[in-house]
Amino acid sequence: MKRAIPSRPALVAAIVRKDLLEFSRDKLWVALTAMALVMFVVIFWLLPDRVDETIRVGIVPSGLASALQQLALADDEVGLEVIGFSDEESLRAAVAGEADGGPEVQVGLALPEAFVVRVATRQDVTVRVYVDAAVPREVRGAMTSAVRELALMLSGAPLPVTLPEGDVIVLGEDRAGDQLPLRERLRPLLVFFVLITESLALASLIASEVASRTVSAIVVTPARVADLISAKGLTGTLLALSQALLLLLLTRSFVGNVPALLLALLLGAVLVSGIALLTGSAGRDFMSTLFLGVLFLIPLMVPSVALLFPGSASVWVQVLPSYGVLQALVGASSYGRGVLELIPYLASAAAWAALVFALGWFALARKVARA
Amino acid sequence: MTQSRPSTQTTPAISVQDVRFSYGSREAVRGLSFEVARGEVLGFLGPNGAGKSTTIKMLTGQYRPSAGRIELLGSDLARHREELQGLIGVCFEEKNLYPSLSGVEHLRFFARLHGVKDLDSEALLERVGLATRGRDRVAGYSKGMRQRLMIARALVNDPEVLILDEPSDGLDPVSAQTIRGVIREQAEGGCAVLITTHDMWEADALADRVAFINEGKLFALDTPEGLKLAFGKRSVRVRVRLASGEVAERVVELDGEESAEKLAQATRGGELLTIHTDEATLEDVFVRMTGRGLA
Repeated sequence: MKRAIPSRPALVAAIVRKDLLEFSRDKLWVALTAMALVMFVVIFWLLPDRVDETIRVGIVPSGLASALQQLALADDEVGLEVIGFSDEESLRAAVAGEADGGPEVQVGLALPEAFVVRVATRQDVTVRVYVDAAVPREVRGAMTSAVRELALMLSGAPLPVTLPEGDVIVLGEDRAGDQLPLRERLRPLLVFFVLITESLALASLIASEVASRTVSAIVVTPARVADLISAKGLTGTLLALSQALLLLLLTRSFVGNVPALLLALLLGAVLVSGIALLTGSAGRDFMSTLFLGVLFLIPLMVPSVALLFPGSASVWVQVLPSYGVLQALVGASSYGRGVLELIPYLASAAAWAALVFALGWFALARKVARA
Repeated sequence: MTQSRPSTQTTPAISVQDVRFSYGSREAVRGLSFEVARGEVLGFLGPNGAGKSTTIKMLTGQYRPSAGRIELLGSDLARHREELQGLIGVCFEEKNLYPSLSGVEHLRFFARLHGVKDLDSEALLERVGLATRGRDRVAGYSKGMRQRLMIARALVNDPEVLILDEPSDGLDPVSAQTIRGVIREQAEGGCAVLITTHDMWEADALADRVAFINEGKLFALDTPEGLKLAFGKRSVRVRVRLASGEVAERVVELDGEESAEKLAQATRGGELLTIHTDEATLEDVFVRMTGRGLA
């Protein structure tokens, strides 16, 4: 019989091959993976792909529409569209979404007929402002200010406040007019869900190997425990990365800076593989592994949920292991940032991936030794 | 690296020298020493918790002894673990197989781990009586088929040392017989076999020598016959129909010089119906030596 101790890579490759074969025959995980992929792709394409930053304002009497539009343009309020209405009832219906075929507006300004005359003669004027329930509070405030400003303009009185050129000094990157559509904001979340699904599959595979003691059959051959764990890590990373790449392919998301995107994905795949090693070592069966996996992974999803809302993430969110991966994914795919620009996030992601993988390695090595 | 066979034919295939192992403060193996020659089958007998499995884990390189030395094929296991693991075959007590893989896939996978290039999986499966089921997934195998596949897996690298933990436990007679036949063939081919079993009949039939282990210590090591002669009771049970029609049963102890005369006397005085030897079993010997059973 021809035999020679195989090289370490050959041993690892043999175990990876076996693991992939086992995975491909696990109907539950194959079905879950396929379902997740299809579901995420469908969700992605159903989400709106643009952000409408224009606020439609209705005004009565209709003759003042052009004056308000001019005021908005003068103030650089490019996101304001003013529509004139003949009477207050139709304006109210347009705001309430009950306009029968007519235009709909988010804000309605009901000015009295003699508005111009009364303002010009410095008489008190009552203006009613109608707003759609979904209009943010700050926009409501802005509308009442706009009415006051309009009144001042029509009366010929100067504004009591002088603002410097440009009105507002933006600190940091100005995203006005460049908001990410929901589809783009959800993309990292969907990618991370795919990574998580694959990590649960790997954890289940590991738990069943430990429980059935097939690991013992491997470690009495020339394969070391290190070869076994390397193979598990490689299998997990391959599965997670391939699924995430497939999702990006199906959602035509290879946009922005592709090398940075791939690097972020790779680090994410290593991170979730490390978690799979940890949860697979701790779990005793399918249900306990699933429970532990979800318990570990819920906190990791928080940074992706935080991306859905404007503003900076809290400090506690920024220290979560997945924060760097997700920020790098967004930076690379949505804003086209390169590896160098994303170094802080990629470094954080790499450090967490290395730490979690090392912990997973340690946990599984202990488990195999006791099997 | 090509695997060499580091020892000569006269070196014991397995040499365990004053080996100890502890789980925390509990010493599971306490100064165990024995040898197994090439072509020899050693039955390793003892009750649950005696230290058999721990010894097997040390022999297969899973555990490192806290003291003592283990040599396989003349090489120190602690220093040449990987090379030696390539030369041993192990069959575990648990049916640790992959349900989603077929028999052939199992053998190919383990052949890759052993670096075997020219595996004839069909021939190996034929040997254990699984030739027609080799392509089927293990999930559909019976207990006996799984056990036979485990034996085939242990033979995938044509081992020089075969370690079998309860290989025929709970099997049907046909599967058990197949497995015993394979073990015997391996030993005849020069392979050293260490087998643990609760089945005294199997140990008696298969093993060239038997080691009794209890509480981590070796109590006795000899051929089954030698142990039975040394520690068992030797007697003959004679049943005779007397002239009165009554059946009398007489037990003749065979210890002493007058045994033949006593036996002759016992058969007289009536019609001889039956003579049975009351030979001690290995279990009797074990109970006598350790004061406890094998369960």
